[in-house]
Amino acid sequence: MTGSEAPGLLAGTRVVDLAGEALTYAGRMFADLGADVILVEPTSGTEARHVPPLVTMTDGVAVSAHFAFMAAGKRSLALDTAVPAGRAILDRLVQVVDIVLVPGDLDERRNRGLDPATVRALSDRVIVTSVTAFGSDGPRRHWRGSDMIGWATSGAMYGIGDPDRPPVAPGGGLADAAAALNAAMGSMLALRARQRNGGTGQVVDISQQEAVLSVSMEAGPLLTMEGQPQQRAGRRRMAAHGVFPVQDGMVEIVAFLPTQWDAMAEWLHDELGIEEVMMDEFRGGSASRFLYSDLIEGWVLELCSRYTKQDFFHEAQRRRVPCGSINSAADLLTDPHLDAVGAWVDVAHPEVASVRLPRAPVRIDGVAAPVGAVPGIGEHTDTVLREVLGATDREIAARRADGTIA
Amino acid sequence: MGELEDNGAARAVSRPLDDLRVIEIGYGVAAPVCCRNLAEFGADVIKVESVRRPDSLRTVGAGWMPPDAPWEVRRDTGTSINGFTCPQKRSVGLELEGEGGRDAFLRLVERSDVVIMNMSVDAVEELGIGAADLQAINPRLVFMNMASFGALPGPYRSYRTWGGNLAALSGVTELVGWPDRDPVGMPISFPDYVSALWGATAVIAAILRRDATGVGCDIDLAQYQVAVGCLGPTVTEAHLGGPTPHATGNRAPGRAPQGVYTTRDPDRWVGISATDDRAWDALVGVDGLEHLAADPRFASPDDRLTHHDELDRALEQWTSTRTDWEATAELQHAGVAAAPVMDHWDVLADHQLAARRFFRVSPSTRFGGELTYGQAAHLPDAPRVADRAGPAFGEHTREVLLEVGFSASEIDALVAVEVAHEMPHPELHLERPFLHWIPRVMRLPWPESSIDPARIVFDRLAGRDWSSADDDTPHEAGT
Repeated sequence: MTGSEAPGLLAGTRVVDLAGEALTYAGRMFADLGADVILVEPTSGTEARHVPPLVTMTDGVAVSAHFAFMAAGKRSLALDTAVPAGRAILDRLVQVVDIVLVPGDLDERRNRGLDPATVRALSDRVIVTSVTAFGSDGPRRHWRGSDMIGWATSGAMYGIGDPDRPPVAPGGGLADAAAALNAAMGSMLALRARQRNGGTGQVVDISQQEAVLSVSMEAGPLLTMEGQPQQRAGRRRMAAHGVFPVQDGMVEIVAFLPTQWDAMAEWLHDELGIEEVMMDEFRGGSASRFLYSDLIEGWVLELCSRYTKQDFFHEAQRRRVPCGSINSAADLLTDPHLDAVGAWVDVAHPEVASVRLPRAPVRIDGVAAPVGAVPGIGEHTDTVLREVLGATDREIAARRADGTIA
Repeated sequence: MGELEDNGAARAVSRPLDDLRVIEIGYGVAAPVCCRNLAEFGADVIKVESVRRPDSLRTVGAGWMPPDAPWEVRRDTGTSINGFTCPQKRSVGLELEGEGGRDAFLRLVERSDVVIMNMSVDAVEELGIGAADLQAINPRLVFMNMASFGALPGPYRSYRTWGGNLAALSGVTELVGWPDRDPVGMPISFPDYVSALWGATAVIAAILRRDATGVGCDIDLAQYQVAVGCLGPTVTEAHLGGPTPHATGNRAPGRAPQGVYTTRDPDRWVGISATDDRAWDALVGVDGLEHLAADPRFASPDDRLTHHDELDRALEQWTSTRTDWEATAELQHAGVAAAPVMDHWDVLADHQLAARRFFRVSPSTRFGGELTYGQAAHLPDAPRVADRAGPAFGEHTREVLLEVGFSASEIDALVAVEVAHEMPHPELHLERPFLHWIPRVMRLPWPESSIDPARIVFDRLAGRDWSSADDDTPHEAGT
């Protein structure tokens, strides 16, 4: 499945990416959708090039897996925005692009003059997209956060984990991803609003607290209001619903709806010969099985003990029981489905020969988005200045000579 | 009836999608939440619902409903449908099988801009409602199916997912838990929500291109790949040959300190992240934590990573003499990221969320008013619309079919053969157990125009056949 040369949905849209960790995935999404995303970084390279997870290669170079994934397909403009000539270039850029992703770190914003209002004041057309811990208004607008703090303030984390341990936040940067996804959608809405109201941009303001709420709503306050106490139920949240051990790992089973249970019960009956599992008392929604959780769990554990995780997963699916093997990131790299659908792409990287990245999860008219290389520091400085700002060779040479660009 | 979120200042408010009609055939979370996002920014979203193939969340219903309550009523009571998967939509009850139903659906599609579904590829084909079928009658259509594993052939293409098992497959479950125990996973359909957001982003991008070119498109979104993409840095680490990442409790990869610490009160914790030099300097400036500055075990970022256990004990000694909010206030005042681990009650009463008007009470036909969730995307000049909670099943069947050119007698005929369904018992008003204290706890106004809630009386429904609808949903690809 090779990417064709068909223009993406956002062809012609220009984005300046000054974002920190949380927001930069939105820039990656825009690049996947065909936008020209310009990563503006200091002449010595952005700190994002050193964001963990870091992998030390055989030559001793520590490569940021975070940066490799997030920066793929972006163009790098190395620019010293702390000097007036450099800031002037940034300001000109803001005036001709459609979207600017600003840093989330409040100190960085202040020190670099990159708070949303300042950037927005440079152009009536520009859309300025911001992610902070609690959003740009309200009593906690100046508070700091992190991916974990996003989970902590969403209400969801309180219900995740083991009953005998403190609540636990999911790993992998998922609160950041949730914020970036809301920022991407919000930026698209602002583009359409601009088109329909005479060309005026606006600030898109994302609160990480609200972003995590937006991806955990079913575990949210509405259930508490209905009288279901919030608790950390550990691995097995209901009968035949949750995380179960098999011979060589774990699987997650979801036998929640009546039809899902019927399929699970039939399997327990067929394989273990348990007649009682077919009793009407167990049938229906998950509430029907609540009182019998321990009994049913014992049967499910016995069934699980007969299988490896791959065999259990496929047999469950054959029987229409929603189930998945619990995969690690390493398992994903050899997953037959991801392989069959061409979910990976190898791209060039300035420090390693190539790096394998997940592609965008959408195909447009049957075409998967091409993914560009991971840019070196300032790899596109000249072309961006020429193409986007119409800079002359002389101007570029002068700015390179005085250290404004690299 | 739109909401103006300005702070008194007059400001032009736009609804960026209010020229668009969107048809949803959605199940569970992914497609419904995607469409809700479009609806809350102005799109006219029509949820086409079937009795034979109901949205799985219609089959759940409110927890407080008696188990033998009739399905025709129970299906309107789920807090998820009303509060976060379907606010701001209209509901049309329509069977897609059989000539009358499919023709009616095609007439709707003809007059629409976007069709969004999350169905198995086989079911889409069987029903003849794929991109090619629908674009033949409406070339400007933006079509998106959000099947769990996408439309391309692959070994999992026909497999079922329901949130949790897709989280397992995509590597999310593995990263939730403690290093000394098996992964614990989370009771959240995380892949569905992020798919809803990716999908909404792609659909609006497609509309922007259509605005310029007049041409629609076919978007094939694979929820599995959305979830894998959210773990992009983690899978890239694995590919580069790093150690296989596993759950790390509350620690951040490669940085310290970060954790959740006990406080003076039982079952109350404070989360702290001080993972860079600036944050560390701020942390050791806090009263009672100054001694950490001089401790050689914590001198450099690498030292703090190496001695994370000792650092956790030192921090916990400090947090355990304070309440969660006291510790949070002192740390945030000094510039350190910290917050209580909030439970649902904290979230409901949270001053920050209230200041940003996250939760609202939106009018509802069955209930008078319903608590609805906010949007995380705040656009000051294009605020979220919150003037309607999720619809009752079939609440807008007649209204919508009339709008797209059906005559009253045509509609009557479709209803008579149970191809179209109208909202049963529109006179029946229900009351949620938490109705009375919503305004008190959350300081939210009850909608002025709403009906007076009255207690449900099941006797009024006597004498009808309430046999449960078949909630077998073999077409469903994912939640």
